[in-house]
Amino acid sequence: MRELRIAAVADIHLGEDLRGHYRKKIEGIERRADVLLVGGDLTRHGTIPEAQVVAEELSGLPIPVVAVLGNHDYHSDCDQEIIDLLRDAGIVVLDDEGTVVPIDGVRLGVAGGKGFGGGFAGKCASEFGEPETKAFVRHTKEIAERWRRALKELDADHKIVLSHYSPVKDTLMGEPPEIYPFLGSYMLAEAADAEGADLFIHGHAHAGTEKGVTPGGIRVRNVALPVIKHAYTVYCLNGDHC
Amino acid sequence: METPHYVAARVQRALAEDDRTTELGIRVDVRGEEVYLRGQVSCDERRHQIENVAREAAPGLRVHNEITLVEVREPGEEEHL
Ligand SMILES: [Fe+2]
Ligand SMILES: [Fe+2]
Repeated sequence: MRELRIAAVADIHLGEDLRGHYRKKIEGIERRADVLLVGGDLTRHGTIPEAQVVAEELSGLPIPVVAVLGNHDYHSDCDQEIIDLLRDAGIVVLDDEGTVVPIDGVRLGVAGGKGFGGGFAGKCASEFGEPETKAFVRHTKEIAERWRRALKELDADHKIVLSHYSPVKDTLMGEPPEIYPFLGSYMLAEAADAEGADLFIHGHAHAGTEKGVTPGGIRVRNVALPVIKHAYTVYCLNGDHC
Repeated sequence: METPHYVAARVQRALAEDDRTTELGIRVDVRGEEVYLRGQVSCDERRHQIENVAREAAPGLRVHNEITLVEVREPGEEEHL
């Protein structure tokens, strides 16, 4: 099986002030990668004009683009419109579901969505007490459940989870520990570990670090733009050899 | 004088909630009359807007804009997993 070259980035936070800038940096991406994964926070305020800039910057590339939204993309309550707009531009947007991208006969499965917070095992919020607390925790639980199902149903040679929120603490190092519960949840890792995946890509933690691993041994990469400091990073998934 | 702790909290909330900035990742430290802003943004205009919003939220204090610009470089070396 041929090796797959996965380009990934998150937190591009585009707006009209940055029109054209990101596109310039990803020209020629097809020579370096087979697919581009974008891990949410595509915009700053989640408005339609900003989403249009995102569509312009990411559409018409010679390789497939798979994206999820981030918390910023929900800010103006236009998340569904943004998803439709991006899909119309030819971008695959995952909203708690999976997709299979065929690459030269190799099937790359990608599952995921925005994700959510709650914290990490031993120090996390639980579904107890006020309705607001329960709703917060339940949101993450339901997302994790949908991801688990999506991963299970993926018929693919390699599987990647694409998220905005983090599944582990490792990649949050550099962020204040007080805000960890707002940066991710162990439930996202648990879903991936239950069904298995080759890689877990996320963003959101601008001050975090790139590399981590789930309790079950899945490699985690935080590709937030301020973390990777490049237009994207390329991860090669091993075929028979590299 | 207002407690620096609450000034920092107000500035941080303003930076997150004001439509001109919506920046969640800016560290705000207040020491006496001085306000320090740290973090990374992607263009100069955003850096200045953050300073403006912080000044409005902390009138009378000296704002030090120590925010740096993220320079988005061309893709580097790939990682083999
Ligand atoms: Fe972000
Ligand atoms: Fe985010």
